[in-house]
Amino acid sequence: MEKNEISSKIKSILISVLKHENFEMRDDLSAADVDGWDSLTHMIIITEIEECFGVKFKLKELNKLNNMINLLDLVAFKIEQK
Amino acid sequence: MNEYFIREASFSDLSFISTVVVLAEKSNSDKLSFSTLFNLSENKVKELIVSMFEEEIEGCEFDLKNYLVVEYEGEAVAAFGSWIEGYNGNMPSKILKSNLIGHTFGRECVEFLRTKSLIIKDILAEREGLALQFEYLFVSEKHRGKKLANLLIQKLEERALKGYPELKKAQVQVYKNNIQAIKVYENCGFKIAKSFASTHPEVMDYLPFNEKYIMEKNYLK
Repeated sequence: MEKNEISSKIKSILISVLKHENFEMRDDLSAADVDGWDSLTHMIIITEIEECFGVKFKLKELNKLNNMINLLDLVAFKIEQK
Repeated sequence: MNEYFIREASFSDLSFISTVVVLAEKSNSDKLSFSTLFNLSENKVKELIVSMFEEEIEGCEFDLKNYLVVEYEGEAVAAFGSWIEGYNGNMPSKILKSNLIGHTFGRECVEFLRTKSLIIKDILAEREGLALQFEYLFVSEKHRGKKLANLLIQKLEERALKGYPELKKAQVQVYKNNIQAIKVYENCGFKIAKSFASTHPEVMDYLPFNEKYIMEKNYLK
């Protein structure tokens, strides 16, 4: 799957969970930059991403995710591994 | 105080610490948010709390290394934990905690939580970066009134200031109904700085109380 497609699907998940579109899918986008991306919504976002792409993240992988590009790379890697 | 002995928590304390987390989370009520928000029994929650501590994730409330335990005649009777938020490049503890819970509790529980998110969203308090964060205080009933909580806070502060002398602030979150804990924190120099409340009609079915304080203490430099 192309990175653009992954990015677009993740954007849809963010909009659906956070209920707004006030963010830009930049490489350096982090949870702190996005309104409503808190402890609660983070858990839901990660679970939705796993479900959408049919992947399961390891805890160590999740704890290294600092920004959007890390997340896109990880999802692409997990899809490749399937 | 001679009969009381304070030490760092170890893996042999896991069962006690999981009880500490459960009782502290209940905050003098019968509502355990890990049960009500994730649709789990209290016993299952205790089991999952042990699993979270076993992951040894630094920088959040589920790291045994953060905890000090008070022993009396060989038995653990009190505990409290603290960590410096975001220290050493750690991610925000809210994200570490979310990752841990999501990973340990599983998809079904997170789906259940999603249906309850509107109820609790206004009561989620932010932790300030590089502030000393205290979490999960418990003193067993028989040993209350001996200033064990004050002793734990003092030792945790000493430990934090030794490792990070530039420390400027400490924060602790407490439900408004927990008068006893608020008094302890006030006696230790904390003051109410912010409050978060939920006006959702069902909030008291899921959380110990509908309002939470952030109490703060500044360290003079």
